[in-house]
Amino acid sequence: MGSVHSNPVTAVFSAHKILIAGGFGSGKTTLVGAISEVRPLRTEEALTTASIGFDDLTGVGGKTTTTVALDFGRITLGQSVSLYLFGLPGQERFSFMWDELAYGALGAVVLADVRRLSDCFPSVNYFEAQRLPFVVAINCFDGAPLYEAEEVRAALDLASDVPVVLCDARDLASVKQVLITLVRAISAARARSSRT
Amino acid sequence: MTVPSGGTWRRRGSGPVVRPYAVTGGRTEPADGEVLDLVAIVVATGQSIDADDRMRLTPEHRRILTVCRNQVTVADLGAELGLPVGVIRVLLADLIAQDAIAVVPKRPVGERTGQDVLQEILNGLRAL
Repeated sequence: MGSVHSNPVTAVFSAHKILIAGGFGSGKTTLVGAISEVRPLRTEEALTTASIGFDDLTGVGGKTTTTVALDFGRITLGQSVSLYLFGLPGQERFSFMWDELAYGALGAVVLADVRRLSDCFPSVNYFEAQRLPFVVAINCFDGAPLYEAEEVRAALDLASDVPVVLCDARDLASVKQVLITLVRAISAARARSSRT
Repeated sequence: MTVPSGGTWRRRGSGPVVRPYAVTGGRTEPADGEVLDLVAIVVATGQSIDADDRMRLTPEHRRILTVCRNQVTVADLGAELGLPVGVIRVLLADLIAQDAIAVVPKRPVGERTGQDVLQEILNGLRAL
């Protein structure tokens, strides 16, 4: 990054936004932390009795904090391109933030927990409505029942151009593969729209 | 009562003592009403700020000016200063109004096509 100020200023790098969505406890914070050079901007607060009724803990026992603001990480790719990952607050009561976060985004990853697949319906619906390219990444939690990607595709009624992949949100190589799949899907979507 | 040497009374990481919007004087909307994108890039212009305006700069304004010597995104500023993005936007608008900070225009489309950028991202991800 340069520090010389000429007028008019030109960008010394380009910054691209990718959203990480999914239900509460689906692994968004873990995924961002697995691949980002910047420590995620942790603004997690302890779950208190005030959130009972809002934060459904069924099936995610052991989770005692909830993300109240943004998980955020940066991946610097070469000299001039950076990817910025933003975790979309999963709960419906934060959905007012989604439009702002989605503005100008390249695409999105929807993390799915097969034990609570319906948790990712709001994200899937949202990105379909926004016509934002996305992939569904099934986070393979220890002890979670194993499903084939195609079973999940059918359960979510996804269009054929939406990739469904299995992943381990803790593992860099796995998260990298998810992002590569997403960027390919974005590229394919753009190629399609430029042909029509 | 003794204060531990060099210590503070609160734990590190317990967050700021000052409520977030206290540093904006209670303002929650940028003065120009423009909501900067999280990945908008800003930079200090190096223009001198007139004496009256300089008097009104808060320590947070000054920290922004310091970090913005290099081009930086709004989100990175928030992480760097430990302040909510909403607060950063208000403070940036003040500095933009004083011509101390400029929003860097996105690279013009056409200079590099979208597919080129995507390919660069793909190559970069594979090399991680």
